[in-house]
Amino acid sequence: MNTCAIETQGLSKRYHRVTALSDCSIKVPEGRISALVGPNGAGKTTLLRLLAGLAAPTGGSALVLGGTPRQDPSFLSEVGFLAQEIPLYRRFSAQDHIHVGAHMNRRWDAESVRTRLTGLNIPLDRPVGKLSGGQRAQVALALTLAKQPRVLLLDEPVAALDPLARRHFLGTLTAAVAEGGGELTVVLSSHLITDLERVSDHMILLSASRVQLCGDTDEMLAEHKLLVGPRKDTAALERMHKVVHTVSTPRQARLLVRLNGPVFDPAYEAEDVSLEDLVLGYMGADAPAAYAHLAAVGEDQ
Amino acid sequence: MSFLVWRQYRSQAAFAALVLAVFGAVLIITGLKMASQWHTILSACTASGTCASLHEGQTSLGSVVGHDFAILSMLGPAVFGMLVGAPLLAREYEARTMDFAWAQSVTRTRWLLVKVGWVLLAAAVWGGVLAELVTWWSGPRNAAFQNWFQPNYFDQQGIVPIGYSVFATALGIAAGALFRRTLPAVAIVVGGFIGMRVWLSQDVRAHYMTPVTTYFGVAGNFNPPAGSLQVGSGMTGPNGQVLAQNFNSNVGVFNGVPISSLPHACQSLASQASMSAQNAANRCLAAAGYHSYASYQPASRYWAFQGIETGIYLAVALLLVAVTFYVVRHRDA
Repeated sequence: MNTCAIETQGLSKRYHRVTALSDCSIKVPEGRISALVGPNGAGKTTLLRLLAGLAAPTGGSALVLGGTPRQDPSFLSEVGFLAQEIPLYRRFSAQDHIHVGAHMNRRWDAESVRTRLTGLNIPLDRPVGKLSGGQRAQVALALTLAKQPRVLLLDEPVAALDPLARRHFLGTLTAAVAEGGGELTVVLSSHLITDLERVSDHMILLSASRVQLCGDTDEMLAEHKLLVGPRKDTAALERMHKVVHTVSTPRQARLLVRLNGPVFDPAYEAEDVSLEDLVLGYMGADAPAAYAHLAAVGEDQ
Repeated sequence: MSFLVWRQYRSQAAFAALVLAVFGAVLIITGLKMASQWHTILSACTASGTCASLHEGQTSLGSVVGHDFAILSMLGPAVFGMLVGAPLLAREYEARTMDFAWAQSVTRTRWLLVKVGWVLLAAAVWGGVLAELVTWWSGPRNAAFQNWFQPNYFDQQGIVPIGYSVFATALGIAAGALFRRTLPAVAIVVGGFIGMRVWLSQDVRAHYMTPVTTYFGVAGNFNPPAGSLQVGSGMTGPNGQVLAQNFNSNVGVFNGVPISSLPHACQSLASQASMSAQNAANRCLAAAGYHSYASYQPASRYWAFQGIETGIYLAVALLLVAVTFYVVRHRDA
């Protein structure tokens, strides 16, 4: 599992004067489910569209399965992309989409779509516009999987789903990865950290158009601690460790720290972090001052 | 890929076929009636030897309904451009369905090529069927009045509607690629189609080829041969220069030319209203080397003009398709 399914070097995307993604360097090993997290507008969609070859970078480079994302059937057939809006032709039935897919792909496992959708009691002959949001997302995922891609890029596919539909969707996804036998790599963006925690084992944290973290989720969690202690100068601490985010109240300070060895200061008590702590910490580090103030007020109560 | 196009457009194709069927039925029924009417008129005018002087304003030929449908056919290309051309890309962008199409293993270029290719072919068939129906229907009127080269008649018959239809559709497609919204694309089709059609048919068409010009005496009378398209008429001066005309004023104008631009010797005669003075003014001008002229495009050029106009519209359509391809390939999805 040493090979990288996705590797980018300084990938950047500017739209006129707006920087959507800046100097993004990530590696996603083959066979992983990577959680792409970050606040709205952090560049998650831009990154996924660059990887899918739907947009051209303004700087840097990307390698997906060893090749630059491009308009070429041999590349396109290896990559499955599901956009945020769950794009399907509303007047087409699932069956119609299956036929269309069969005509537009080299590899196409029509039977797998039928099996998955019948298993979920989703009617194959009804226009997808008349299905529920959860059913539509399932149809779209099943169609994306029918391509038998080796890299699957999913842009907030569960955002609009209720908890049960979300669970079904992610169940389908993890089952597909298990069937893939370590060959299928998934990048999944979402705001629902608890969902991501359950299905993913790798993470990419984007904030303010930049990569904050990228790597194995367990390693990332182990590298970070929440230090709780008195409110004091952190210069000594910052000589060795990186303080990601601080929430201070008059009585105490809570520091999210990326460790670079053990913490010797006995004034602090170290707590393990959850994925949510990590995400919120890095997101908060870039949040406008107004948000930091709100966080501090919350701590006070 | 073609399957996707067929699946997307099959209901619209059925609807278009239905419209053409209704259109054809009306034109065939009224056309057959008109044919027998023409038969009667023709035997009557042959007997009296007046066939050459049949005039649209005096001889009633064809029903109002048939006539209305023939005029209606001129809207056909624009309707196709609005309903099929404009949404072709704009609708995909609006519903984000291009993200489905482009996530398959087909390149954007190929997707566009197949889609645009089939739809433009359909546009050509649509324009062609409308034109052929109207051309057939107009047969008796063309024979009686020889007016097929005149504005509006020229525009409904032959092959030009194919060019109009392909142009309107390509315009809608290109506008959809640029704006990514259906409504602005439809507006561009309406504005662009009307603008291009009016401009070409009013200002440009008469000059596709150098017109034939006939000179005749100032007081003479000349009618271009039947079936030709009149381009211009007026007076030329002693050096053959065309005299500027002024139709806006009745004062100080002689034969459409301001009296002040006539030779001094003839000016006082020209400004008098009596018939004898006017005749004398004509003789005066003829003696000074003035002539009347009429320029026209002879009827034999009808098909050349049909070909040129169709070619212009197809060339512009090709340019619009090129723009579309450039935009879709180079702009991010």
